[in-house]
Amino acid sequence: MEPWRGDLSRRDALKLLGGAGGLAIGEWSPAGAIFAQQPQVSKESEPFTGPGSNPHWNSVGPYVSEPQKAPLILLTDRPVQLETPRSYFQSAFTPNDAFYVRWHLSQIPNRVDLAEWKLKIEGHVNKPQTLSLPDLMEKFKPVSLTAVNQCSGNSRSRFQPRVAGGQWGNGAMGNAMWTGVGLRELLDAAGIKQGSVQVQFQGLETGSGPTGSGSNVFLKSLELSDSALDEAVVAYLMNGEPLPMLNGFPVRLVVPGYFATYWMKCLTWIRVLSAPDENFWMKTGYRVPDTPRGNTTPEEMKAGGVKTVPISRMPVRSFLISPDGSYKIPAGMPVTLRGIAFSGYGKIVKVEISEDGAKTWRAAQLGEDHGAYSFRTWEAQWAPKAPGSYTVAVRATDEKGRVQPDEPVWNPGGYLWNRIEKQEIVVGKASGGESR
Amino acid sequence: MRKRFSVLLPAAGLLLIAAGAAGFDQFQSGSYGSTKTPSLRQTVPPQLSRDGNFSVAPFPSLAPELAEGEGRAETQSFCSDCHSTRYITMQPPLPAATWDAEVNKMIKTFGAEIPDATAKKIASYLQQYYTPENRKP
Repeated sequence: MEPWRGDLSRRDALKLLGGAGGLAIGEWSPAGAIFAQQPQVSKESEPFTGPGSNPHWNSVGPYVSEPQKAPLILLTDRPVQLETPRSYFQSAFTPNDAFYVRWHLSQIPNRVDLAEWKLKIEGHVNKPQTLSLPDLMEKFKPVSLTAVNQCSGNSRSRFQPRVAGGQWGNGAMGNAMWTGVGLRELLDAAGIKQGSVQVQFQGLETGSGPTGSGSNVFLKSLELSDSALDEAVVAYLMNGEPLPMLNGFPVRLVVPGYFATYWMKCLTWIRVLSAPDENFWMKTGYRVPDTPRGNTTPEEMKAGGVKTVPISRMPVRSFLISPDGSYKIPAGMPVTLRGIAFSGYGKIVKVEISEDGAKTWRAAQLGEDHGAYSFRTWEAQWAPKAPGSYTVAVRATDEKGRVQPDEPVWNPGGYLWNRIEKQEIVVGKASGGESR
Repeated sequence: MRKRFSVLLPAAGLLLIAAGAAGFDQFQSGSYGSTKTPSLRQTVPPQLSRDGNFSVAPFPSLAPELAEGEGRAETQSFCSDCHSTRYITMQPPLPAATWDAEVNKMIKTFGAEIPDATAKKIASYLQQYYTPENRKP
């Protein structure tokens, strides 16, 4: 039966009157049926989590409206750090206005004058280049590729013991189609001199710290011999639209497979170096233990001597996006589990789901292939027979044979989390009978 | 077209309410009591110029309320030089030693100019209100 409508046909009205008059409601509502519960109370998120692990999928901050953005989850307002809510990951492509935001320093652009702005290619090169946006769009052949951009510290709030830093849930990631100029093409135009070792990237972001310090300028570098450079793109389009200011207008670097720390926003200087970059963001920041999965312990760190390397490719990950555990599922209802998977090491070849907390697994169906570095959507049918609480888990395998483990990772930076995700889902009785 | 008997609605409504009181529990509806759910105002599109300037509105400033106590003013003043104090309230409760290390990192690694005595005061404020033992929601 539906709730009250504005008007009823004579037959409906009479039926209702007759039914109610005779209180013939046993057929809908056997003794003991449970609907007369108190309404749910909706509670606001707590302002922080810990010292235990953040139990939620996203971080717990309030929603905030920033320029060119849908309401996103606030981590910090200056510099801006915003997390993408879970439901946006139902599709393979993350909308620009929902794409997460992470800046390091507080002076980030509110305005870029394209009459003045130029991309500079300088340093250890034969022909330094100064390119306007039209130069980039017209003088070079556009290339497009789809790639996941994920913050190195995505899911940091899972760490135990907790580590300081941006307390991201799982939403510091997004997938987009990026269009621009191949980085190698730009480097070739400038002509790399013999004896060059690295290429450094700098955007328009600055901070109020002392000149040359990590709080003054954000700089990232990659080895010139790194094959990631062959796939890197200086992008002026994101999902076929200009980049939002908060995501790096007018151009940002795209390094498929690599963590977002290298994807310099508002990219303005490409600098070829003849000696390794020793700036804070390479020498101290964004480094991970040189161990399997970047794993170590607080004790080993205290003892000292843990060798570290710059963070690079993203380990394989997968997520259940819906259902999200915020509502019950009637027993026996054949629902569709949906989610995404990706790896920085190449194509996703398998996604499996478990209904019993990662004990037994079965294969999910993979969605469209948008390229090796894209989100790959997946889905699986699930018709839980009996009421109860189920732990649904999901794990992915990439083409290199790397599988997500069920063990946590720990390092002081809060990087490289890729443990199997689990979601509690409550299944309720669907009828008054005994079976369900 | 079927005849409408909307005049019967009030009568039917009363009967249903009576039925509900008599144990009619198939559903429950009409609960609008919550006044606590916060809302977020929409923004209107800005006026756009045709020149080469591509700009956005100022980013909102949303400094949180820090715990009331000795050292709060110094914490607000010095930490806010480089970043919002949301960097503090966003953190999980951190052990006292971690807060010492954080204050040290801001000075030694990031070059924050904080006099020694003030740095001590800031660290001790953070240790007083933002550790697992004493952090309040």
